[in-house]
Amino acid sequence: MTTLRFQGRFRDGVSAAELPVDVERDGGDLVIAGREQTLRVSLAAVVADAPIPGVPRMLALPDGARIETVDHDAVTMLFAPKSPIDAVAFWLESRWAAAVAAILVIAGLTWLVVAIVLPLGAGPVARMISPRIENAIGRQSLATLDRVALNPSTLDAETQQQIERRFRRFVAGEPGEENYALLFRSGALGPNALALPGGIIIVTDDMVRLAPDEGELMAVLAHEIGHVQGRHALRLILQDSGVVVLITALAGDAVSMSVLAAALPTALLQSHYSRQFEAEADEYAFAHLRRHGYSPQLFADMMRRLQKADARAAGEGSVLRYFSTHPLTEERIERAEAQR
Amino acid sequence: MDTLAVAAPVYPFQFTGRTGDYFRIWIVSLCLSILTLGIYSAWGKVRKRRYLYAHTHLAGSTFEYRARPLAILKGRAIAVLLFGGFAATGHFLPTVQWTFVALLLVLTPWIVVAANRFNAQNSAYRNIRFGFSGRIGEAAKVFLGFGLLSIVSIGLAYPYYRLRRARFVVGHHRFGATGFVEALHGGDFYATYIFAGLIVLGATIATIVGGILLALMASVLGAKSESSRAVAYVSIALMYAVYLLAFSYLRARVGNLTLNGARIGQLQLSSTLRARDLFWLYFSNIVGIIASVGLATPWATLRMASYRARRLVLIAHQPLETLAASTADRATAMGSEVSDLFDVDVSL
Repeated sequence: MTTLRFQGRFRDGVSAAELPVDVERDGGDLVIAGREQTLRVSLAAVVADAPIPGVPRMLALPDGARIETVDHDAVTMLFAPKSPIDAVAFWLESRWAAAVAAILVIAGLTWLVVAIVLPLGAGPVARMISPRIENAIGRQSLATLDRVALNPSTLDAETQQQIERRFRRFVAGEPGEENYALLFRSGALGPNALALPGGIIIVTDDMVRLAPDEGELMAVLAHEIGHVQGRHALRLILQDSGVVVLITALAGDAVSMSVLAAALPTALLQSHYSRQFEAEADEYAFAHLRRHGYSPQLFADMMRRLQKADARAAGEGSVLRYFSTHPLTEERIERAEAQR
Repeated sequence: MDTLAVAAPVYPFQFTGRTGDYFRIWIVSLCLSILTLGIYSAWGKVRKRRYLYAHTHLAGSTFEYRARPLAILKGRAIAVLLFGGFAATGHFLPTVQWTFVALLLVLTPWIVVAANRFNAQNSAYRNIRFGFSGRIGEAAKVFLGFGLLSIVSIGLAYPYYRLRRARFVVGHHRFGATGFVEALHGGDFYATYIFAGLIVLGATIATIVGGILLALMASVLGAKSESSRAVAYVSIALMYAVYLLAFSYLRARVGNLTLNGARIGQLQLSSTLRARDLFWLYFSNIVGIIASVGLATPWATLRMASYRARRLVLIAHQPLETLAASTADRATAMGSEVSDLFDVDVSL
């Protein structure tokens, strides 16, 4: 057996004093030599801490005394790593290649969860949520929207009732028919229509005015009914909550990162339906329009009108525009016209 | 007694952590935590903290963090249950959420005592452990009683509440057998909070008046809507800057008051944090973290640790060697690992 020698600082654990010591292995013992005293302890009774790169090693002696040493090599030779977790961590922490790999793994997993797992998982989870709860979430969203972005409608009661009656006939026989509610609002959203969780559909005054007759308005509403049937709003909320949970979990250990986490929900407010949700709602709308004796061409016409209104709004520098939330318009118009 | 007044030795704190080293520990911890669905985070916390402690120097020795990852894992499991239950019920069952709020309130005194105790007992310097002996009953009086008082008094008693909190936390700590004695004064706390309030109030008034003036000017000159939006963004940014300034001021002042108000035997700390330094550190750290998608977090942590150490010194009217361990600590250090109601890390 080769002799093994290293230097350290001895602290008896009784007072906050320390003294330099020479430590040497002698058979199954450690011989700790100070200036005045020499101590002999069995190696088996000494416990070494878990190694961390850049951190001195600490040896705990049986009587509560400790020896600190910067001689990592000596401690590694004397004591086998106790916990495999810490051994793996030490190995990874000691090399830059592992750090780079860790960054790639984190980025990859984040993408996987946000782009694939959450959208896939949101559907089944949404189906587990009862319509009553979904409706409650919708009403809560409506209250928030009413507070921050929407004003009461300025349309006359007769127009509202007329559209309302058409809408009732339009949703008659749909699953969950009784949950549908059509609400009229004005505000800075421009010509717009929204489907909230639980069957609440909001249509803005500008949208009603933009539609030359009720057929075109029904085309827009058919699209929103498609969102309701697909429970898209609820699925979006679930996905976004997942993203928030993920970000909070990732950033959990950094106090300053809470700033980011707090800013995130605001950013998500501006998030929009995915292309897939839009396509689903469009398909539903085409079939629904035909079932009620309307042509899907109405949908294409309405999209063109909205596009024009959108271009005008862009000229005026308006922030909230219909197409900032409904992308790929040309493609959707073409699909609608192919349905005739 | 000496006739000559001998200046007491002054020991500066020093922080020697290196960004590259700490970054690797941090990123490995983050990655393994994700891969193990959060379980590794307990090991990660211990390793990160051990690195930070081991690089904090005082009088030629460094600090030591001794927590066992399993105790931290236990604490995190409790936290996940509590906060997870709170968050999950918020969306769907608002009434059940109140149960969690009530539960959290009832548990607050225990959480405060357990967190302080865990942290103190697992921190050591020269093989002498710190300790915390605050009682749950007193914690309830301070955190719930005076906390409620500060709400009822619409914030007027808030500085007093913070004073009582600081007294409770500082006064019940000990280093080995030597208890901390606190000398904290309500007047200092009130002056600090009033000044911070004035910063925010003054800035709010200035922003409102400035906004009205600019809006008037814009309407007279017939400016475009884009420029008025720019003015709005600038004033919002200024408001955030002022809040950060007030926050930095509070952190610096309250931090100094608390540390400087502690006596450990014949030892005394002197902390000289400055609001403008903290403001700059917070600001540049946030910018760096956002710009690097979070990767600069370890850099930000080390900058803060380094600054705090630079502004802290220990004035020793008695030799450090004369401080002794508590006999109870020595018993547990030698015996088996104790596990009790408090052996759980609930400090998040």
